Amino acid sequence: MQRPIVKPVGTPVEEIDTPALLVDIERLDANADRLPARTRIEVWVHKTPAIAHRQAAGADAAGIAVRSIAEAEVFAAAGFDDIRVLRPLVTPTARQRAAALGKSVRLVLADDGVPLAGADALDGVVTVSSLVTSAPEPGRAILDCGQKAIGRDFGDPVIVDHDALRVSAGSAEHGVVAYPADLAPLAIGDWLELKPADVATVFTLHDFAYAVREGALEAVWPISARGAF
Amino acid sequence: MKIDTAARDLETPVALIDLDALEHNIGVVARHYRGKTIRLRPHGKNHKSPQILAMQMAAGGTVGGVCAAKVSEAEVFVNNGAGNVLVANQVVDADKIRRLAALAKRVDTTVAVDNEVQIERLAAGTRALDATLGIVIEIDTMMGRGGVRAIEHAVKLARQASATPHLRFRGVMSHQVPTRRQPDRSVRFEEGGRYIERVIEAKRAIEDAGFPVDIVSTGESWTYDVAATYPDVTEIEGGTYIVMEVPYAYMTEFRYALRIMGRVVARPDQYTAIGDVPIDAIAAPNGLPTLEGVEGAAVSAIDHHGITLSSDTPLALGIGEPFFLLSHQQDMTVNRWERFLGVRGGIVETIIEAQARGCVN
Repeated sequence: MQRPIVKPVGTPVEEIDTPALLVDIERLDANADRLPARTRIEVWVHKTPAIAHRQAAGADAAGIAVRSIAEAEVFAAAGFDDIRVLRPLVTPTARQRAAALGKSVRLVLADDGVPLAGADALDGVVTVSSLVTSAPEPGRAILDCGQKAIGRDFGDPVIVDHDALRVSAGSAEHGVVAYPADLAPLAIGDWLELKPADVATVFTLHDFAYAVREGALEAVWPISARGAF
Repeated sequence: MKIDTAARDLETPVALIDLDALEHNIGVVARHYRGKTIRLRPHGKNHKSPQILAMQMAAGGTVGGVCAAKVSEAEVFVNNGAGNVLVANQVVDADKIRRLAALAKRVDTTVAVDNEVQIERLAAGTRALDATLGIVIEIDTMMGRGGVRAIEHAVKLARQASATPHLRFRGVMSHQVPTRRQPDRSVRFEEGGRYIERVIEAKRAIEDAGFPVDIVSTGESWTYDVAATYPDVTEIEGGTYIVMEVPYAYMTEFRYALRIMGRVVARPDQYTAIGDVPIDAIAAPNGLPTLEGVEGAAVSAIDHHGITLSSDTPLALGIGEPFFLLSHQQDMTVNRWERFLGVRGGIVETIIEAQARGCVN
């Protein structure tokens, strides 16, 4: 499991142990307010009950949608009581688990006509912070955020607020940034924020999400359904 | 899930490790290094599991410790039996340096540098804890990542590290991958040898400048045998061999040990099956996973909801039937799972914990 250094509430975002999955609380809430009412929120995208609760509160949701019975169990334990499981259950064991869970929550195993929402509700909300760990030659910097911290299954990340910087290669443990050599050089210890190509992948990689408001740490949320494939 | 269950009956998706194949792979390297001075430094990033590291160490031919990509990964392995650790990466922030220094007070700990600034920061952090931290200079041989570009720079850093209290200069390290996808043995020895000779060149230049070198850490699974032909190399950072991956199939002495087992959940037509393995359970940055053992069928797509298996001829996989996938980048797949089920002859024998999963910090 991830072993981050957890710092006090109010810690500037740049001082959170890198690489860290950052959630912009204000954007999260604003997106939740715009979700259509009476829909099921697709919480499998973030796997994080704390995020799901904020979305459900903002959206007047009809319930949530998950992919697997294992995800349903996590969200039921976190207080959600109307859960649709998107994947068909094909084994006796999975059906037994569903029957047991169905005693305490409303479990929906087929399309009940309630529209799904929320796959886009994290647009602009999630980034991963990173430090420059090496600047080995002009126009090149190495980051501590590689594929294992931000994913590459759906493409490379982009660097927030630095249009001329490009993540040119994704190693497992390193990010490589290429930039024009005449640009002000990145230096060892510089802090960067990366926007992932795919948000759901990032929530599979990390065990904790750092909720940030106005550049300061507000809460640390466990990604409780991570790995509940 | 319980022990002594047939693997085919497990809930899916599930990550299975074939214990016979795992033990075979460990044995290949251990036997190759028997009677030689070169040692394996098992790379923890490739299995994330102190349990597997213990198997590697018990088989012999290792440094008795581990290679780690990150400080938090190093902590997990040291907390669970690794006798020493090399963090084959640059560490630059005060918090992580403090953690490294704390590790160094417990076991022999070494970190890679490629810049003066890192050495200054490491010195400050180790001084604060009165620790002594080993330093190797990372040499870039072809990756274009971290690592010094010029041998003179390596000598300069060796001089700086040697003169810095609380740091102990140990030597050099490098990492490299083959540029050809399926190198044959002669290509492996020529290309791998070329990179290793570059590291040895740096090592000798540092020694000539008066700084003794006792670690030359290089190579990886694809050059475990190449490196053994160079007396200057003290250790190999080997990892991929442990459970293997499809692009490494040219290393025919190793066997696939890791499989993701899924089940068919839908059959849209007779040529297509939908399985319950989402992309986040296997990762596919290097191409689609390989479907094993289903004649004429292959993976045609994968996303967050599942995997599509397609065939030109009618597919015999019924709903509920299991299928098995091989990874094209094993360390990415490994990093998605907290535990693997160890299987022998199709029967679950043990649970293999991967406590270092997610250790990206």
